[in-house]
Amino acid sequence: MNKIITMVRKELIDAARDKRSVMAGLYYAIGTPLMMCGMFMLLIGQMSSPEDLNIKIDNADNAPDLIKYLSSQGISHGDSQSTNDEGDKLDVKDIRLVISDDYAAQMAKGMSAEITLIADKSNEKLQNSIRRLERNLQTYSAEMGSLRLIARGIDPRVVQPIKINVEDQATPDSKGGVILGVATMTMIYAVFISGMNLAIDTSAGERERNSLSLLLSHPVSTRSIVLAKVFSVTVFAMLGLLLTLIMSKISYAFVPWQELGFTVNISTDFILLMMLIGLPIAMMAASLQLFVSFMAKTFKEAQSYLTLVLIVPMMLSMAASYNIAPDTLQWLPVSGQQQALIAFIKGREIPMLQLLLSSLTTLIIAAGLTFGMERSLKSEKIVFGL
Amino acid sequence: MTLISTLLVSSVILSLPAFASVDSDSSKQDAQQSHQNESHCYVDGLSEQLNCGFITVAENPAKPDGKQIEIHYVVLPGIKNSDHTQAFLAIAGGPGQSAIDNAAGFNRMFSKVRQKRDILLIDQRGTGRSNILNCEGEGFDSALAINEADFDVAEETQACLDKIIDSDVTQYGSLNALNDFEAVRKHLGYQKLHVYGISYGTRMAQLYLRHHPEVLSTVTIDGVVPMQQSVLAIGNAISRAFDLLIKDCNSSSLCGAQFPNLKADLDSVDAKLTIAPVISQVRDPLTGEATQLTMTRAKFMGAIRMALYMPNVRALIPHAISEAAKENYQPIMGLYSLTIDSTGIAMGMHASVICGEDWQRMTAEERESANSTYFGSEMIKTFEQSCAIWNMPAVAADFSAPISSDIPILVLSGELDPATPPSWGELAMEKLTNAQHFIAPYATHGVAHQSCANDLIAELVETGSVKEIDGECLNKDVSRNFYLNASTVEAIPSTEQENQQVKPAAQGASHD
Repeated sequence: MNKIITMVRKELIDAARDKRSVMAGLYYAIGTPLMMCGMFMLLIGQMSSPEDLNIKIDNADNAPDLIKYLSSQGISHGDSQSTNDEGDKLDVKDIRLVISDDYAAQMAKGMSAEITLIADKSNEKLQNSIRRLERNLQTYSAEMGSLRLIARGIDPRVVQPIKINVEDQATPDSKGGVILGVATMTMIYAVFISGMNLAIDTSAGERERNSLSLLLSHPVSTRSIVLAKVFSVTVFAMLGLLLTLIMSKISYAFVPWQELGFTVNISTDFILLMMLIGLPIAMMAASLQLFVSFMAKTFKEAQSYLTLVLIVPMMLSMAASYNIAPDTLQWLPVSGQQQALIAFIKGREIPMLQLLLSSLTTLIIAAGLTFGMERSLKSEKIVFGL
Repeated sequence: MTLISTLLVSSVILSLPAFASVDSDSSKQDAQQSHQNESHCYVDGLSEQLNCGFITVAENPAKPDGKQIEIHYVVLPGIKNSDHTQAFLAIAGGPGQSAIDNAAGFNRMFSKVRQKRDILLIDQRGTGRSNILNCEGEGFDSALAINEADFDVAEETQACLDKIIDSDVTQYGSLNALNDFEAVRKHLGYQKLHVYGISYGTRMAQLYLRHHPEVLSTVTIDGVVPMQQSVLAIGNAISRAFDLLIKDCNSSSLCGAQFPNLKADLDSVDAKLTIAPVISQVRDPLTGEATQLTMTRAKFMGAIRMALYMPNVRALIPHAISEAAKENYQPIMGLYSLTIDSTGIAMGMHASVICGEDWQRMTAEERESANSTYFGSEMIKTFEQSCAIWNMPAVAADFSAPISSDIPILVLSGELDPATPPSWGELAMEKLTNAQHFIAPYATHGVAHQSCANDLIAELVETGSVKEIDGECLNKDVSRNFYLNASTVEAIPSTEQENQQVKPAAQGASHD
């Protein structure tokens, strides 16, 4: 055991000297949370309707009261030439409201007066604004309807035969969980990315530098060497994960989630759980990456193989994030753990059996790959990359 | 019949919810509150899970071992809330309205405040879920048919008192309630409060300022009842709002042309109903069943008075008056039916507050002045009888002293307010050194939910400073056109006949 620890330390010192490996891990751990935050901020900004919504209103003269009402709700007419008080050009949304010519006449007769809303509903930047406009028009219409009834001596409640009470069981945490679920994918990714360069370097790279045979000739068992390599890559992966989590915790606090009506908070509990659950995944990732790298003949080849091989766990993770086939995925490695994490984020009960089973599978795969590596390192073909 | 029937003309109705109270010696209560119920709950109109709970306090603080009552509260958790030491307390009006029942309205109004702060709603003792003192009984079926003149206030008040005999009604004044609020604050661990009081809730907010200024960060009072003022002087405010309505209609080209004799119409109907009510057979507004409508002066004036509270309903008043002058009481009946059971005022608690804090401090002069208006004299008549039965001890004389404070305070008044006129807001400002008073030209009672004032409140809460607040946005014209017939608010095209054929277009109707 002492030998393994010594060798792990050697591997880590080696790795730390190799700036490229270290930086690769760092780039991801620091960059991804920031990128995610930037993306979310941009999305939130685009999706929310501006406080003062400017649209084009045709025939406004036919319905002055309606126009006044909309304006009191922050919706007013503007054209491309309009400017605001400071002389800046107004941001006029591409939404048109056309008030029919006979609006006032229809109204006066107690009929329905027509308004046409023209907009591209597939434009997500407009969707919130369109919904807001529709909601306001409906409120206005409902209010007029009520008053028309009152004027006829009828209680407006009679046209509301059903009152729907919605009891939403979502908690503030679980609403944010939708976002955080996607974020967990990037965190699991961190486990795979952070150790990858080290894994290649310490296997294919070591062989390329001809130091692998030297190492194997030392009086230590092949198993110890393999375990030391797996552990050191695991340590690197876990460091990357920790850094990602800390960066996420800090940077997510700056995103204006409250504009969406919920908040995303990375709690210390979540960080601890993620580290715990991440450990078997990191070990599997390490052994998988080492195994594949040893199989490759050169450093370059190892890189391209790994990119291909890593697609599998990534697909599992992505499927878990987007809730594809959840019943099957909850038993599989990576996706099983991720679903448990998402359950935790949303404040639901963690599916213990599934979590244990998928973690166990993960460890078995890791052990199997390690054993495979140990055996393959006894073959000259592998050791010398023939 | 119940006390509620008298509400239209003889209750004070400082509408809408908001009430906060704090009291000085709540240390005794703390010990009793040890461990209380907290749970997730839902309230009317909001789909999300909220945190609800209650504390138990002695009904009579002087008898800590006597009857215990529950004070219920709801917390609308702040959305991005890192600071759990602060909350925004919204206090309901009435007196007698439940803050929790109005949670959806407060949530909408203060969505900006809630982004970063918890909103705390407390049902004041005697209202809502906190040992409600309700006089509602059976007998609403006859609301349309009754003649209010036959109503025996003394008898009904006694019946109400007998019904809530378990409660000591003398303990339901504002000061005890303030203690409850402060106990809830301590229970929840908030160190500082931003207080918003509407209507009667402004009295609670001012008492908070007087007794517990150290826990207040900012205060907003909206539709102000100054401490110096007995709310029973409201009669003049109601008359003023009637006059403003007539003036508004006359100065609007559409309304003025459609109803050129509005003032004369109002006076003639009023005079006619004063002599005798008009009895007719109608369809019940809700059930559609045949019933008798006894159109009294109380119903007519009361329905108009209540319609003045809401800017959108106010728009229908000229049409309703004009129709009434033509003997068509349908629109008035429609307006009246809105008020029958939707005020949500706990009349027992209402009486405890008014009788203890407003009735007894009225001077002879004030009574005389109140008697000069229809509503004022009706109120005096009612409370003279009911307060004799309620037997509330009068609050101390210094209760009426003006509040002096240097805490940032936002004072809001609606120009068209039929309950608390802008002059009352001015009166409240007397000794406030760090306050601003804004008068919203198009708002009635409760400025925050009718204008951009809720944004101003959010700004006050965010910056903690009132001096930089710019009330310019309140001047934006958000007034509504008056109804010209039973269907439209827009100019009736000249090609149309003057008398409109009216077909009901039953579309989704909701009223808020």
